[in-house]
Amino acid sequence: MKTGVSGELLNISGLSFSYEKDKEVLKDIDLKAVDGESIALVGANGIGKSTLMKLMVGLYLDFSGDITVAGHKMCAANLDHIREHIGYVFQDSDSQLFLSTVEDDVAFGPRNYGLSEEEVEQRVAKALGQVGIENLRKSKTYKLSGGEKKLASIATILSMEPDIVIMDEPSVALDPRNRRNLIMVLKDIRGLKIIASHDLDFVMNTCERTILLDDATIVADGATKDILGNEALLQAHGL
Amino acid sequence: MNSIEKKLLELNKIEDIQQRSHWMNSLHPLGKLLISVIYILCVTSFDKYDIVHLILMSVYIIFTFAIGELSFKEGIYRMRLILPLLIFVGIFNPFLDKNIVLIAGYEVRGGIVSMLTLVVKGVYTVLAVYALIATTPIDDICYALRIIKIPKIIVIVIMLIYRYIDVMSKEADRIFTSYRLRAPGQKGIAYKYWGALVGQWLLRSMDRAQIVYESMTLRGFRGDFIPSKKSVRALDVIYPIVWIAIFMIIRFAVTG
Repeated sequence: MKTGVSGELLNISGLSFSYEKDKEVLKDIDLKAVDGESIALVGANGIGKSTLMKLMVGLYLDFSGDITVAGHKMCAANLDHIREHIGYVFQDSDSQLFLSTVEDDVAFGPRNYGLSEEEVEQRVAKALGQVGIENLRKSKTYKLSGGEKKLASIATILSMEPDIVIMDEPSVALDPRNRRNLIMVLKDIRGLKIIASHDLDFVMNTCERTILLDDATIVADGATKDILGNEALLQAHGL
Repeated sequence: MNSIEKKLLELNKIEDIQQRSHWMNSLHPLGKLLISVIYILCVTSFDKYDIVHLILMSVYIIFTFAIGELSFKEGIYRMRLILPLLIFVGIFNPFLDKNIVLIAGYEVRGGIVSMLTLVVKGVYTVLAVYALIATTPIDDICYALRIIKIPKIIVIVIMLIYRYIDVMSKEADRIFTSYRLRAPGQKGIAYKYWGALVGQWLLRSMDRAQIVYESMTLRGFRGDFIPSKKSVRALDVIYPIVWIAIFMIIRFAVTG
């Protein structure tokens, strides 16, 4: 739900994380992001992009350093508050859509946060409208095409009206038309957007800021056109 | 199409039927659940020789399938596993039960009647359950279970099993298809690969189940599915009352 918090929505400082002892996946990450920004997380496979995003939504709590989301410090006690303000779109839409119909799935989040049925109804209609799939409202999720599933997945997050939307490889397996459609949809989403992607054209079209990860840390953080325009930098870091 | 794909298609087909815009589908799930439970209790409570009155109970099945536009063929198909079991259980009755009973004025061996009664009870029960699930999505059945105060933990386990059956079936389908495409001419899976494939299947299913669970928790899931509240119309009350009354009449008044 919208916090009303403006300005800084995400503040990460000194973040380190490892799945196994002595094998840090992320090391001393510092990152600040403000409302309205579109940030791309790029880097080679297995470099820790997904891990960083999962840390942002509190799926892993055994990290060192600090993460503050919409004014809430990341800890077990604050998870419910944090998750009201941050939405995560998984790479695999089949895992994101777990209910029978698009309508039920999009309503799942708002219902869990105790909204009235009228409000849930409004949220569902608005979210489906935002991604342009009002016609799929009653559709069975297993019958959707890849592009439709991706849009439905995004709608499940938008219905919660988060301040921050995080997306893991949203353009994967989309045909050119659906990819163009997704770019238009993302441009219309307000708030802070953080998108992990290997699709550099897609990043160029959707994000004005890019963060390049390599060797468990941030190696570059700046304007997308500067970073993606620096071929030597990209090649040096596996892109 | 392999057998797993067929099973997935069957599951999807039932979900399609559940989503039809038929008046029977839109009835309140509590009414339908109560009708089914009471029907099954009534059917199973008939005496083992009382096949004549038991046949009257078919009125519900016939009505539901005919008016509800459900396929008898599909319903019978669902019984392919249970029917042999019923026959196996009842097959010895004609040899063990040598009583003579009167059926419509004819003397018949009690064992034959009791075997038939057992089979008919099984058929009715399976068809009644099929009628329920074909007209009521699992979420609505669970909603009704919660109304009648079935413990939350049991209802959630039912819902999650339903979700994860889908996850595990899809993983099994992917693994089997991938194997089949690289093992042409083989019937089934070679014995030596079973260990690795089953292990992979479980690990991958657990991985996917974990992602589904994360997706749920990130959208506010705190151990309880919150269904949309269903409004209750006059038909939602009248329909179960009429049927339960009919069952009671057949069971207690007609049977005596």
